[in-house]
This record gives sequence, structure tokens and C-alpha cells, in this order.
Amino acid sequence: MTVEIIDIGMGNIYSIQNLLYKLNIDAKIITTVEQIKSDFLILPGVGSAKLYMEKLQQSKFDKAIIKHIKANKRLLGICLGFQILGEYSQEDGGVQGLGLLKGYTSKLGNNISNNQWINFHLKKQNLIESKWLPQAKLSRKQSIDGRVFYNHEYGFVCEDKNVYSQSISLGLDKYSSIVIDKNIIGVQFHPEKSQTMGIELLGMVL
Amino acid sequence: MRVGATLLLLDGYCYQSYNWQILRPLGKLQNAVDILEQYQCDEISIIRPIRDKDDKTFLNDIKTVANLKSLTPISFGGGLRSQEHIDMLHKLPIERLIFSTPFIEQNTQLLQYAKNRFGNQAIQALLPFKELNNQIYIFHSANNSFIPLEQIDISFIDKYANEVILFDTKHEGDKNHFYRDILNKIDIPNHKIIISGGIGKDDIKFAQNNNLASVAIENKVLHTEYSIKEYKNG
Repeated sequence: MTVEIIDIGMGNIYSIQNLLYKLNIDAKIITTVEQIKSDFLILPGVGSAKLYMEKLQQSKFDKAIIKHIKANKRLLGICLGFQILGEYSQEDGGVQGLGLLKGYTSKLGNNISNNQWINFHLKKQNLIESKWLPQAKLSRKQSIDGRVFYNHEYGFVCEDKNVYSQSISLGLDKYSSIVIDKNIIGVQFHPEKSQTMGIELLGMVL
Repeated sequence: MRVGATLLLLDGYCYQSYNWQILRPLGKLQNAVDILEQYQCDEISIIRPIRDKDDKTFLNDIKTVANLKSLTPISFGGGLRSQEHIDMLHKLPIERLIFSTPFIEQNTQLLQYAKNRFGNQAIQALLPFKELNNQIYIFHSANNSFIPLEQIDISFIDKYANEVILFDTKHEGDKNHFYRDILNKIDIPNHKIIISGGIGKDDIKFAQNNNLASVAIENKVLHTEYSIKEYKNG
């Protein structure tokens, strides 16, 4: 199995590649849409939403990602790469998203950012009920439980009651920590920087 | 509250530092990061102790960080003073950038460029300070000198920085000697402040009680194997 990491010139690409290597998964960094070969794409996200979307459009990854999802292939969006999958973001005065997830991104609050480790749990049953089918079968675990690392000022508000969405914490219950919708998983935290929990999460979903 | 560690990196190697003056070789960055990761250290700040404008070691340090294998959040800074420097950080396994001189010199162009590339949440300001006769002086690394706190626009720093690292240079390497009164002298919300330099268990309790964002323990983390666990439970 090969996982392809989309590189649009922004983000901590090597961290994600390192996480996949720890799982013995072949990870390839791709910079053009012509290089897409895998059934599993990772869309990392660091930066401002406006510049990020501009770079997605310039590289034509915006349309390629939509095509990939419509072909029933899988995608993992991380942080901004998750938020951009929604309908729009309030960041940078408003940015249109890819519209793959029903919901929007809004600011956590004035002068508020969520830079911390927070407990997170996920059951394999949540994946099955959301019709997400792991293919690599790297783990037999039925659930994972531990802490994950967040570093963000904006959060995704899920407006689709038919998909699996887990809130970040009691204080940030409006915002999603993870959304699973058939062949799309979006996570607000950074699995690539969540130590053993990152490995366990990827092991479960791949 | 997070409990992290500070590592000094210069020309590809890590150092322990005492009182902002003495550098003691520590070894390879990967080894130090591996040890910290085993302790489940919450975050690691890799700082290049640049004391001047001339910076011949930057490229070597970028290569060292690029080869770093880590699953722990990493902040990186020291000598980041141009857009070219920011561009070189693309793909690197770092999440946050640490700036000092651009905040002191109010280089909005560079800070905005970094924000666009890495996001608002990624920008940290480093204010190395010392207290002398009840006066606070901030280290201006590009000039290699300390300047009075009054010469710095703290509201600018509060506006552009997601978090601010207050680094006590005088007590670096000591234990439980962080100059806590600094919080009363710098008008930045506590939830944005990271303290470092002379951190001990008592300082961690102080940080927890005052709802600070984080503490960054310097040298001592690598002095004794059990230390980080002890601090985290402190």
C-alpha cells in the first residue's frame, strides 16, 4: 500500500512522511496532480486559509481531490487540510472551501487558540458505521484512547448529522475533533505530532 | 498546561547553556529529541543561540532539522530574519516558528509572511530577558546587546505572537530561580506565556496556578533520566 502526501508548498510534510514510515507504509510526496496514483491521499494543512486555497487551485489539486473522492477513493485531511474540505472558512475575510463536508470553519474566539494536548478516543465501530473501511489492517484494536496535540485558532463546525463527528472538548464542543464521512476523514489535531496516538490512529484507519 | 523542553542547536549539534554564556556540548539533535520523546515531553523548542547578524551555520542547522525524525511538536527559531529563511523551512518537521529580532524591530512584513506560510497559531515570540536592579532588559540578538524593556512595544508583540516565550537568561541552568515578577512587568495575557530559564518544580506549580500556556525546561531535562516525569507530576 502506498499513501500519497499532497505537497502544495506549505506544511510539515516530512513529519507526516515520518509517521507513515513508523508504520512501515510507503509514503510518497506528490507535487502535481499527474502524480496521483494511490487510493489514499493525505492533505496536510499548515498556513493561512486564503493562501492555502490559492495554492490548491493553482496546482489544480482542488479539482483532483474532488475527483478522487467522487471515485470513492480515500482522503485524510489534517488541520487546515481538514477545514478546507468544508463549505467555507471565515479566516482571511472568507474563503470558499472544497465543499466535500457539510459545515464551515470559524474562529475559536478573540485572542483564543487551542494549543494543547487533549484526550481523544475512537472506536473501530465508529469507522464501520461511517462506511470507512480500513484496508491495510495494521491493527486489531477495537478502540484507541489517549492524548492528541492541537495547534489552531480556527475550528470546523460540522452541520451534517448523518456523519460521525466528535467534538474537541467540553469547552470547544461546537468544533469537531474528527469527522468521518464514508471515504473522507478530517482531523483537527496533528496525528503526526501526537506521539503514540498518531501511530495508533493511522494504524486503525489505513 | 504543557511541559516542554528547550534545546539549543548550533552548527548541527546540541548544547546545554548556562547563564546565557557557557555552552556545553550535548551531542546530536536526534539523540536528544529521542530521549525527550521517550519521556512524552509535550513539545520541544529548538533554538539556535545566534548572537550576531552573521549566520554561517544556518544552512547546516536546516539540514539537521530536515533529517529529524520526531512525533513530538517542534518549534524552531534563532536567526530567522528573512523571507528566504522562512521558505527554507518548507516541508521541515516543525510546526511553530520562534522569532525574536523581528518582534523587537517590528518587522511586520516578515511576520506576516511567516503567518501566511505557517498560520497565526505558529508564531511564537522569544524574549530573552534579565533583571537588574528591578529593571528588565531584553536581549536584542541581532545587536548582541540588552536593551531596556521600555524600548520595546509589547502591544505589537501581543498582537502578532500567538505565544510569547519569556526566557530568563540570568538564571538559565539554575533550579527554581525563574524571575516570576516578570509577569507583572510585561502586559501579555498569561494564557499566551511560556516561561523558560531556571525552571524547577516550584516554577511549574507557579505556572499551573497562573494558567500559563507552557513551561520549557532547559538543560535539566537531559541531566537525569527521570526528571521530565518528575516535573510533569510536579
